[in-house]
Amino acid sequence: MGSGIHVGIDLGTSNSAIALFDGESVSVVANAAGETLTPSVVRIDGRGGRTVGRRAHRALDGDPANTRAEWKRLMGTAERLPFAAAGAALLPEELSAEVVASLLADVRDAAGFTPRAAVISTPALFELPQNHATARAGKLAGLEEVVLIQEPIASAIAAGWRADQQGTWLIYDLGGGTLDVSLLETDDGRLRVVDHAGDNFLGGKDIDGALVEWAAGALARSGAVDPRVDRATARGRGLLARLRAACEQAKIELSRAERASIVMPDPTGDGIEGELEITRGDLEALTEPFIARSLAAVRVLLAKNQRTADDVARVVLVGGPTLMPGLRARVGEMFGGRIAAGIDPMTIVARGAALYAGSVGLDATPAARATAPAAGLPVRIEHPSVTADMEPFVVGRCLPGAGQTVPDRVRIERVGDDGGWAGADSPLSPEGSFVLQVRLERSRRNKFVVRAFDRAGAEVPLATSAFAIVHGVSIGDPPLARAIGIARADDTTRVYFPKGTPLPARRTFAHHTVRPIAARSDDDALAVPIVQGESMRAHRNRLIGMLHLRGVDRDLPAGSRIEVTLEIDRSGQLATRADVPGTGQTFQDVAFVLVPTASVETAERELVATNRRAAEVQRRTFQLGIPAAVQSIADVSAVLADADRALPAARAGDADAAQKLHRLLMDANNALDDAEALLEWPDLDAEARRCKLTYTPMVAQWGTPAEQQLYEQELEAAGAARTRNDAADLELHLDAMRALGRAAYVRDPRSMADAIDWAAAHVTEAMDVAAAASLLDRARALQAQSPAADVAGGGLRALRAIVAEIWELFPSSPELQAKSFDSGIR
Amino acid sequence: MTEADDVENLLRERLANPFLVLDVAPSASVAEIERQGQRLLAELAAGLDGARRYATPSGARARTPEMVRSAIAELRDPARRLAHEWWARGMAAAGAAAAT
Repeated sequence: MGSGIHVGIDLGTSNSAIALFDGESVSVVANAAGETLTPSVVRIDGRGGRTVGRRAHRALDGDPANTRAEWKRLMGTAERLPFAAAGAALLPEELSAEVVASLLADVRDAAGFTPRAAVISTPALFELPQNHATARAGKLAGLEEVVLIQEPIASAIAAGWRADQQGTWLIYDLGGGTLDVSLLETDDGRLRVVDHAGDNFLGGKDIDGALVEWAAGALARSGAVDPRVDRATARGRGLLARLRAACEQAKIELSRAERASIVMPDPTGDGIEGELEITRGDLEALTEPFIARSLAAVRVLLAKNQRTADDVARVVLVGGPTLMPGLRARVGEMFGGRIAAGIDPMTIVARGAALYAGSVGLDATPAARATAPAAGLPVRIEHPSVTADMEPFVVGRCLPGAGQTVPDRVRIERVGDDGGWAGADSPLSPEGSFVLQVRLERSRRNKFVVRAFDRAGAEVPLATSAFAIVHGVSIGDPPLARAIGIARADDTTRVYFPKGTPLPARRTFAHHTVRPIAARSDDDALAVPIVQGESMRAHRNRLIGMLHLRGVDRDLPAGSRIEVTLEIDRSGQLATRADVPGTGQTFQDVAFVLVPTASVETAERELVATNRRAAEVQRRTFQLGIPAAVQSIADVSAVLADADRALPAARAGDADAAQKLHRLLMDANNALDDAEALLEWPDLDAEARRCKLTYTPMVAQWGTPAEQQLYEQELEAAGAARTRNDAADLELHLDAMRALGRAAYVRDPRSMADAIDWAAAHVTEAMDVAAAASLLDRARALQAQSPAADVAGGGLRALRAIVAEIWELFPSSPELQAKSFDSGIR
Repeated sequence: MTEADDVENLLRERLANPFLVLDVAPSASVAEIERQGQRLLAELAAGLDGARRYATPSGARARTPEMVRSAIAELRDPARRLAHEWWARGMAAAGAAAAT
């Protein structure tokens, strides 16, 4: 971590914040108005002048055509938001970039430098394209390096940082529109997120809505004014906007006082259109149903993880609504008053992001780029930036230049007020490296210096010798929220990164093309679809990117081997590469697929399709009579009924209703996926039995010892998955059993005869009938020359090669391929 | 051959067992795992040759920082650790059987 400054940004729907961590403490940077929260609002005037934050927020009601807020839900979409007077239209990430740039300018004013790198938080629900857009916003704002972190994890880090006590924590994050509850554990200084849960349709806006409805009713009954009429008109909307602002003000006052007035100004702002009194008791009665719903979500999370409220050592409250005394009291009641004190619920996410920047060594200061080579022997020193380990390893490697020699031995010393500490002298390895343990002081930033000596004991000057390690909570790499893989032509998914994989991550697997590709043709492209989701059925996952193999140097026959590498960095950016060993070519231009815009038209079409799908799944469910699937369908019906109810408001322009509709459709489709998986269980179970009967004797007779051992373990794991009714896990192990079984089968000389007979019977289905017929003739001739008895001879090897060529000429099912995003590989 | 590649893909997955990657016993404590993981990350970052490969029952394989980070994270989760312990013990048995 050196002596750098680390920056964390909470890029919120309503408000944003930026925090700095200097290795010892975290501070939130105030903006020019002296506020730690900057409204996520952008205004562009007729001359193109841009205003961000509080001043833009003031224009929201008065100049809505040139002021934008709450675009976070559109991140990753192609929807441009217009600014009428300037004749401009900006992408959501371009608007976010304006906010980030404003926050960075605040740091420049306060700390004297413009950050070059930062960690930005994103919701746990964000998918890769949304994360990609967020990272791009940071880059557009001038950041050279952007790392992303999920918001609940940032909160957890800020809450658990330097926690002396062990045990289970609960993060209760009630935002404007959603509730996120996270369970985490601190064990021996190591922080782990155990699980998340939440309610996508519960937030401060629901509470505000209930308060506004109550106030509107009370005002109407008093005869002053009825804001509930004419909502479709500009006057009606103006009335409601003023009432909403008045209620918001009263709600804030009730955090400190027992009673407050809801004062509704007239349109000029000079007079009063209506006024009424509200007590804290009134507000608590209004909020009770929402709090009860939130606590139900907490109970579900605890039960799912076999814990009770008594097991939770501390509860951390996050988000504006948690400032309400009534809510704090109700959560406190459930947990025996164990609410963490001294944590600002509005800035905790930014603080956590800054701490995370420190733990990954992301230095924001321009000096980090630096440069002039220092005098002395260059040494590369590697160590953890932050660790819970009191005696971590430090690794170094001397990189001598011309005329420089590697020292004989090194020593690491800790410098500090306590008199410091010195390790033993250690000789260097023949490659000029050292691996040493150092001793830390608890909960401190520990500064060290490396000293090197020659054979005579004289000190050798080093170009880099000082470094620092902070003793604190060890934080794992951010986990991937959903699995990522490649859709194959048979509609199966090759999982590259399972859910929870820490980022950054990189993996490579071998695939084969399912059809030939013509040389030097831009029109003939083979698709490699990249999908995100948990299903082994490729089409049930979301397509997030597409790599195209086109313009190959020479004709690539079907069955050509390609090595596909997927790589995701800490900012959630995906890089994909396909290497074709046969030609030595590499392809790496990924087309990113945008997330579907939450437009009402899209949602309406999706609602019709989902209702149709639900009816079909329902028909099959009752036909097969599987109780668990029946339960899933019952849930789907309720969700779709909610979606139907949200549709009219969404059509009328209510952005929240549109978002709710979009989320409900996602939930309904996820539940339908679950139901379909349950319906397919009997088939899968039968397939498991068939695999065992088919492949066990093959592997026993023809598998290598390593394959046999692996097969035994896969078989046992498949049995365990069957016992647990775990379809996803069972499919993974069956896939493995098939791979091992087929590898063994092709060693059986009789398999060649079977394959040739099959190909002869289906030759007219080959992609290239003439080529297949010619290969078959060659195979028959070889069979005649080398009888089956010639098992060990070259005849069998040659026959195998021909059969492999024939095999590649048979296409996969076009129906499955179409379902699987037209994947061209298997 | 497709079949050979399928087996190789499977081996890439199974032989990336966290205990093998980190070169620690299935009985290792959380602290031992974290310390060894951090040590390997530092060695890989410094370019030490010895850290670039690890032993498996099917011969040495390449070790990358991503694999080490993933191994640390996998073993932090008690449920996932149990599954990896089961595979690691099975592979150790396979390695012992192959050696005799």
